[in-house]
Parts: sequence; C-alpha cells; structure tokens
Amino acid sequence: MRIEKCYFCSTNVYPGHGSAFVRNDAKVFRFCTSKCHKNFKMKRNPRKVRWTKAFRKAAGKEMTIDSTIDFEKRRNVPIRYDRELVQTTVKAIKRIGEIKQRREHAFWKQRMAAAREKHRAHRIKKLAAKTAAIKLVEPIAVESAEPEKILEKIKVSAKGRSALIQGEGRSMGMDID
Amino acid sequence: MGRLRRSRTHHAQRDVHRASRTRARTRDLDQIQLIDLDPKNRAALEAQALDFEKPGLAQHYCVECAKYYETDVALRSHWRSKVHKRRCKELKEPAYTIEEAERAAGLGREGKRPLSSEVPMSTTV
Repeated sequence: MRIEKCYFCSTNVYPGHGSAFVRNDAKVFRFCTSKCHKNFKMKRNPRKVRWTKAFRKAAGKEMTIDSTIDFEKRRNVPIRYDRELVQTTVKAIKRIGEIKQRREHAFWKQRMAAAREKHRAHRIKKLAAKTAAIKLVEPIAVESAEPEKILEKIKVSAKGRSALIQGEGRSMGMDID
Repeated sequence: MGRLRRSRTHHAQRDVHRASRTRARTRDLDQIQLIDLDPKNRAALEAQALDFEKPGLAQHYCVECAKYYETDVALRSHWRSKVHKRRCKELKEPAYTIEEAERAAGLGREGKRPLSSEVPMSTTV
C-alpha cells in the first residue's frame, strides 16, 4: 500500500480515493479531490494558489527546515517484516507527531508575533493618514442667556406601609375606616 | 494588441468546458520548458511537414504558447501580443512539477542504495 500525494495541494491520497491523470508522456498526476483536479485542468499554478501546501511553504507560512519532516521518505527498498521493528516504528511515529505538532505551534506563534507587530504599525500609519486628511469644521457655539432650569425630583412619602400585614398597605383588601 | 477582455467572457461556457477537458489538454509549461524550447526540438517544431489536420497546415507554430496559427502575419502579431509576452514570463521560472508537490508535502526521496547502518533489517535474512 502506498499513500500518494496530491499534485495540487500535496495532501495524502489514500488507496481508493481521488483520481489520477496520466499525461501522454506517462507522468502520473494524482488528485485528492475533484477540486484539485479542476484547478489542474484550469492550468493554475499551485505555487500561486493560496490554499495549497506549495504556496504555504514557499511563502514561509510553514516550517520547511526541520528534522521531523525528514522522516517521511519514499524508500524503494523492501524490508523484511520484523515485529519489533514495526512496534518501535509505530511508537516513534506517535512521538515524532507530538514533537512536530509542538514545533509547528511554536513556529506559528513566532510568525504571529512578527505579524502582529507589522499589523499594529500598519494600523497606526493608516489612522494617522486618516486623521490628517479629515479636518472637521468646529460647530458654532451659541451662548444661551437663560440658565437651564433645574428640576427637582418629586418625592412621595411611602408612609411605612407594609405589604406583609393584611389590610394595610398594598394588599388587595379595602381600607376600613 | 487590444485590451484583453476579462469580464463577460464565459458566454460560450460550452467551449470553455470543452477546452479544459483532459483529453483536449494542451502542452504543459514543464513540457515546453524541458523539451520544446531545446534548440533542436524547437527547429523541428517550427519546420513541420504539411499536416492537413492542423490549423494553417502546421506551418505557423508558436513554440512558447504551443499553438498553431493560420498565417505568418497572425503568428507575428501574436508574438507582439500580451498573451505571448505573459507566457514568456511564465516560462522564465521553473515550472511546478510532481516532485515539487511531494517536497511540499514533506515526502523526501532516498537513493537506491541506502547505507547499511540506516536500514539494518534489509540486510538480515
């Protein structure tokens, strides 16, 4: 069993999935989905399409130099089955996956820190340009001769009526003289 | 060399779809770069025998764009066009290949003969 890579987006293509195009010079182009196939038919360059792995790698959005990437290789040498080797390999795959994930996260954080700085500088620059361009006309201040009336709050005494005692206060009963 | 229309170009959707079929696939950039632009192949392509199936009897061929033209005048005006110049610019940088796709995915390649210390299991029988 061989897990192929999509020509366009470089994701894994598992057996029984995706489609392949064989060009008349016997080169096999494999595609994970019809989306990738369509883009290929449109003769788009994957290096210029932002969602592909090729773009992300070329634009420095993902790790390119790392020891965890170097493990996956096309080895055209058959290896005799060995139970222990398989066990250690499976263990190693898990461990390497963990390490890779952590490193990718660190890489992303670093990238975002740099981007944030850049973004902030851009925002400040844009704001400065905006404020310089707009000059608001001051509204004409009208001085009123009369001072504003200050209304006092009307106070109504509650007279200490209790709702808890029946026949007194806000109960439904009538007031009896 | 007028303006190249960008909008309202898909009025004839049928032709667009037909042109994008794999059976009607035109030569790719990597093929042109590595094979067609080689001086020997280029000379052969530019001096093709009369072919009644091809436009202009296959006498006016643009190698960069992999396209036949009807007349020499048409070919010459094509060489002055934006389409041709854009194509030439595209051909200046190396084309995208399957190997590049695999490299982007992190799939490396190993030589045919690995070191005995690297793969000890293949040597033991």
